[in-house]
Amino acid sequence: MSRGGDAGQAWELGREALAYADTLYNLARYLAGNDTDAEDLVQETYSRALGSSGQFTPGTNLKAWLFRILRNTFISQYRRQRGNPVVGGLDTVAPIPPAAADINWVRDDVELDRLRKVMAEDIERALMTLSEDARTVILLDLEGLSEVETAEVMGCAVGTVKSRLSRARAALRSLLKDWKR
Amino acid sequence: MREQLLDFQQGRLVPDLVTSVRRHLDGCGDCAHADQVERELTQVLERRTPQYPAPVALKRKLAANWPTSAPVVPRRGFRSWMRLVLPPVVLATAALLFLVPDMRGLVAPTGPAASVMVGEAVNDHVRLLQSERPLEVESSGIHQVIPWFSGKLDFAPGIRFAGDAEFPLRGGAVGYFVDRKAAALVYGRRLHSISLFVFKADGLPWPSAPLEPVGRAHVYRTAARGFNVLLWRDGELGYALVSDVSAGDLILLASKLAPPA
Repeated sequence: MSRGGDAGQAWELGREALAYADTLYNLARYLAGNDTDAEDLVQETYSRALGSSGQFTPGTNLKAWLFRILRNTFISQYRRQRGNPVVGGLDTVAPIPPAAADINWVRDDVELDRLRKVMAEDIERALMTLSEDARTVILLDLEGLSEVETAEVMGCAVGTVKSRLSRARAALRSLLKDWKR
Repeated sequence: MREQLLDFQQGRLVPDLVTSVRRHLDGCGDCAHADQVERELTQVLERRTPQYPAPVALKRKLAANWPTSAPVVPRRGFRSWMRLVLPPVVLATAALLFLVPDMRGLVAPTGPAASVMVGEAVNDHVRLLQSERPLEVESSGIHQVIPWFSGKLDFAPGIRFAGDAEFPLRGGAVGYFVDRKAAALVYGRRLHSISLFVFKADGLPWPSAPLEPVGRAHVYRTAARGFNVLLWRDGELGYALVSDVSAGDLILLASKLAPPA
């Protein structure tokens, strides 16, 4: 018996792709901000992935490929539909003046102490305050994607990922520190 | 220097730069503090960022919409050939297994019987995650976790891997695998949980192929219901590793659990 060509390839891909449902849903939930939209987003992602399974290159990173489809789907559908200002670019986050960022690094055990006391809801609130770009880059980093993979997902240069991640973490640290004051 | 801290912490710098950053941190209090704050932020994010797993109903929907079974293209005449040949073969195998009980342990199926093992591994993993108190012993120290099993199992789990920065040990519990007691150990992978079940291997329908060499083990790899699963035997003990992390991550952990002899 043999597996039929394209359908067999789609089956193999599907078997692996379904293993990432939790991971994709988690990112979708942080992008969409609610369960219903997150479910729609993940379903649409899988539907698009199935439709273009022939474009996936075996041996490359399936997880990153699915993340890219999910993010593109989100950008093309949800941002336009909802006109949500929160999901703009990184520049929608109030920039942290370099001087202020430097002050944050001054040796201060209080800051470390505050960070250690941060609760789950603080982190979620802070993440949702960040722009979509900043939130995504932090979540992809947490997922263990390399900078190259993150760059593929976000459609930008590796250097851009590096600077976005650095700025996003600085913004997050600043938010968490202020709330715990 | 500050821009390089994340790369330094995540092992993305070339060796020369690592040495130079280390040397700088030894002599610069402000940068050393910045390094500490970045590490703390990473730890806080990894441990406390709320996770939203996909609802089971959604997973079912996804699985239903994706072709989950490979289309089978039978060769001409195959079915009629099977109809003739299969019954006597099945009868002969059943008789052999019945008459020679020890043979059961030697037969290693890859089909429905292997799926019993895979299904059990996934169920046990899900049960463990869903229970109110999944870990009976919560510790990242292997020398606290392994001795805790003493007196609770009639075998020693034989785990030497103490966890590391990539796969921190979170703790353990006693569970069941099919019909027998099992040691359940939980490792972390960033925000994900990985369950390792260790149990006595004899008498279970172990899959025979395709097996991949990982460390000193020969591992059966598959995915079921959105989870990746690895199964392998080592002497009298069997191991099942289950998680929603990528198969590559699971194989990496398996290579640490069963390092080359």
